[in-house]
Amino acid sequence: MTRMVESLEVTTLDRSEVLRYLGYHGQEVTPEIEARLGDAMASCLSLARPRACLRSFACGTRTSRNDGTPELPLLGCALVLEGKSIAEHLEGAVEVGVMAVTIGAGVERELRRLSLTDPLGQILLDAAATAAIERAADAAEALLVADAAARGLYTNWRFSPGYGDLPLACQPTLLAALDATRRLGITLTPSLLMVPTKSVTAVLGYFPEPHPGTRPGCKECNLRDYCSIRASGTTCQSL
Amino acid sequence: MSLDLTTLTTPQGHAAARSLRVKDDHLARVLAGEEFLLFDGAMGTQLQERGLAAGDIPELLCLTNPAEITEIHAAYVAAGSEVVTTNTFGANAAKLGDAATVQEIFSAAIECARASGARYVAADIGPTGALLQPMGTLSFEDAYALFAEQVEAADASGADLFIIETMADLAEAKAALLAVKEHSDLPAFVTMTFDEDGRTFLGTTPEVAAATLSALGADVVGINCSLGPADVAPLISRMLPWAHCPVMAQANAGLPHVHDGKTVYTITPEDYCEAVVSMLDAGVTVIGGCCGTSPAFIAGERTLLEGRLPVPRTFSDSFCVTSAQQLVALAPGEVGVIGERINPTGKKRLKEALRSGNHDYVMSEAINQTNAGAQILDVNAGLPEIDEKATLVRLVAELSGVTTLPLQIDSADPEAIEAAVRSYSGKALINSCNGKREVMESVLPIAKHYGCALVALTLDEEGIPATAEGRLAVAKKIVAETDALGIPRADVVVDCLTMAASTDQTQPRQIVRAIRLVKEELPGVRTVLGVSNVSFGLPYRELVNATFLTACFGAGLDLAIVNPLAQRYRDAYASWRALSGEDESAQDYIANYAGMKDGGPKPGTVAASQAVAQGATDDEPTTVEGRIRSLVLSGRKEAVPDQVRAILSDGDASHDVMYVINDVLIPALDEVGERFERGSFFLPQLMASAEAAKAGFTVLREEASSSDVPSKGKIALATVKGDIHDIGKNIVRMLLENYGYDVIDLGRDVDPQAFADVVVEHHVKLAGLSALMTTTVPAMAETIQLLHVQAPWCKVIVGGAVLNPEYAEMVGADYYAKDAAESARIAGEVLG
Repeated sequence: MTRMVESLEVTTLDRSEVLRYLGYHGQEVTPEIEARLGDAMASCLSLARPRACLRSFACGTRTSRNDGTPELPLLGCALVLEGKSIAEHLEGAVEVGVMAVTIGAGVERELRRLSLTDPLGQILLDAAATAAIERAADAAEALLVADAAARGLYTNWRFSPGYGDLPLACQPTLLAALDATRRLGITLTPSLLMVPTKSVTAVLGYFPEPHPGTRPGCKECNLRDYCSIRASGTTCQSL
Repeated sequence: MSLDLTTLTTPQGHAAARSLRVKDDHLARVLAGEEFLLFDGAMGTQLQERGLAAGDIPELLCLTNPAEITEIHAAYVAAGSEVVTTNTFGANAAKLGDAATVQEIFSAAIECARASGARYVAADIGPTGALLQPMGTLSFEDAYALFAEQVEAADASGADLFIIETMADLAEAKAALLAVKEHSDLPAFVTMTFDEDGRTFLGTTPEVAAATLSALGADVVGINCSLGPADVAPLISRMLPWAHCPVMAQANAGLPHVHDGKTVYTITPEDYCEAVVSMLDAGVTVIGGCCGTSPAFIAGERTLLEGRLPVPRTFSDSFCVTSAQQLVALAPGEVGVIGERINPTGKKRLKEALRSGNHDYVMSEAINQTNAGAQILDVNAGLPEIDEKATLVRLVAELSGVTTLPLQIDSADPEAIEAAVRSYSGKALINSCNGKREVMESVLPIAKHYGCALVALTLDEEGIPATAEGRLAVAKKIVAETDALGIPRADVVVDCLTMAASTDQTQPRQIVRAIRLVKEELPGVRTVLGVSNVSFGLPYRELVNATFLTACFGAGLDLAIVNPLAQRYRDAYASWRALSGEDESAQDYIANYAGMKDGGPKPGTVAASQAVAQGATDDEPTTVEGRIRSLVLSGRKEAVPDQVRAILSDGDASHDVMYVINDVLIPALDEVGERFERGSFFLPQLMASAEAAKAGFTVLREEASSSDVPSKGKIALATVKGDIHDIGKNIVRMLLENYGYDVIDLGRDVDPQAFADVVVEHHVKLAGLSALMTTTVPAMAETIQLLHVQAPWCKVIVGGAVLNPEYAEMVGADYYAKDAAESARIAGEVLG
């Protein structure tokens, strides 16, 4: 039995990744900017409350619409995944892991405050927060990988609405299926953007066999810090 | 000649006080806190157990499977629920879309509930699902309109009361509660949901929720959903002293887990009820359940209530005001400081900021006063040549984003006051009402309707009375009316009005005595005073003000309206708190003043010059121009102001403002832009340099009259409708401002017509539009089309992650800028 709302551990941020979001490629980092960057990263870590809602659903019968767009319904879930890209991503999957992750409204509120008072502070915190939500999404994905592994299933990687031709239009149902507005405070604008903006929704496939070329080796894996499988002496590719 | 309370309405026409339609005596006694009321448990988890797919719209079942919904209600009634809650949590027009109308769902849902035989049917109103401005894009009035539609539908279909629940945003809860108050005469129960850290997702505490919503007229307030009852109990205890109405609790059955693909909850009915007992003992009188609870839980709660009587409650007698994140309370005898700096009277820079609409300076004043220890900030936008109402509303929204301090809404225009307090996320302090009949008739209903605290000036049609007794008489006249309206005494703050000692030396004593009389003769009310007028015409005014302030504190003054950055006030305030015993064992005083003596350094100040000296060591250029250039290039803003002042006042070699702009700052910025384009600077360096240049411009504006700093032209900027990513636009704005352009920043998610209107109104020659998402590019195209028709003189630059030169041409833009530096170059090309 898994908790429906998981608190995630994001205790450090990769400085070089934060710099990358700021368009850094080897320029001088002055002591002033170094200090402000450090402040922004510390502020991000203290304000962030990274949390996720996670569920998995069995795949229904794959069909296609009149115009040929593939559709994948999920059993016990109103979410229907449409489009060629997600059909390819989930080809052969028996279940789909669904996740919604956010680092919360505290960072969002601080970003709004800085947008009115400190533009440099805003871009630094925004970059730090982007790094933080990616880390949180890694942690959430690792929980789904572990959930699949516990049942002898193999996973590929997370795929978000808006990637390829998976429409943003599936966001309301995806969030509703996880009760993510109530549980995490994630809301949608009429144009289907999430607020807090540092939030991620995604799905990934659970497969009966290892999925070729899906995950890099453990050394390069983004989920490495959050992996619970390796500790048991195996990997998600060799259950 | 007292006011006719039955006809008092706010300037917008809302009745100040409403008479409730209460179904029966039992419910009336419940609302008086004299009897218990038992709600029902979860609807959603019951539906999921019956096979509702995750993510389906549960409200539609009222139309498609009414018998099943009634069955769930009936099971709760059989278990002992007096109230059943309609299956309408998400039944608002935004969520339902084309699936059904709001009226259809509420009619069917109330019929389903009624058919269960429940004593009362509560119309359920949940959050809209969208986040309100400023963090989200939904306006307060649009949220209000969604709720109002639900309220009218439910009232027409025969609901007995409203339950507004699972709110995380205080502003949204306020919009829903106002919708009930203004569209129905049925009772309103309001609950919010809290996280493990004791705050809602948006940072509201239980104290803030209780104080704000009960002042606003909620008939019952409380907590639902959130956590298990054992974790809700301490949060409820924090609510109880601040809620001047019954308090309710509907906790979850613990935290949700997923087991075999189903959501399950971990707490048993027995454990649940054990925790509920502690809440009943603390003073809760309305109970029920939320997610994961079932009829078994309700049956257990029914048993708990048998033979039990509500326990007497004790309420806080503090004066209190709130923002969405902070409650500021003064117990009797405690003193507080209201920051007076955001008031344009006699302040050139603030006037300029309000006229131009560029509020950076206002925000910095708010931050400085917050850091200096103010507890409340006064906000006044009273300038004859601007739209005070619109400006005040905008300022209040912006200030709420930069400070968590509650605001004092300061205006002589009742319409402006109402507009500002209506959407304010919190319980505001209104400044002010006075004893004039006309003013009481317009301002008192606003304070009552919106649950605000109120400053009452002791003046009336006869002017300001010369004596303490005269001032007391006016205070009594106003308090008689606030008493009659049911405004609590602790929400009324009397201002005995400072007069200059130099024009009438008897006045200071009269004022001090008036404060004492008001506190004695009108127990419960508080007093406030802006002290600085007392010293008008005297030298060393700060000393006189501080002495007068101390005398007033001694007479019982509760709140001082002062400049919290002035050291003399801080000294008087800190030392009075130590003398009065409010600062227990003088801990704060000792911590801040130990080791100090007259003539020594001021408390808490570090010589700012040290920091400057550290920043400017290596390869010091020999000319001032060279030093400014170097500081801008390296982004060290602290040292820039001194250098700019030096160049302006440097004896024979002094230069004028235009020289500093055109020959020093702009060339430095150009060089920054070139380095950025070449890739030898990255974004934070560009921004740090822009900040440094801005520090220079700020000095120039202070030193020069505005005619010396000519504008290079107006540029309007916005992130287009549907898009909420504004970082890129903010960077462009900062750079353009530094080049001397007047930037009109409309923000994000900007409606095409609203943008075109501003371009036309200001005859803007260059507009910049930003879009980050593919999905919002059509809104960009639409905005440009409107501009082509309505403002054909205006050139358009576009930018943003999804744009490229081809795309820019496709949407009809004149220019594509790949970054902020390029925007500045294009602006130079178009506007010179």
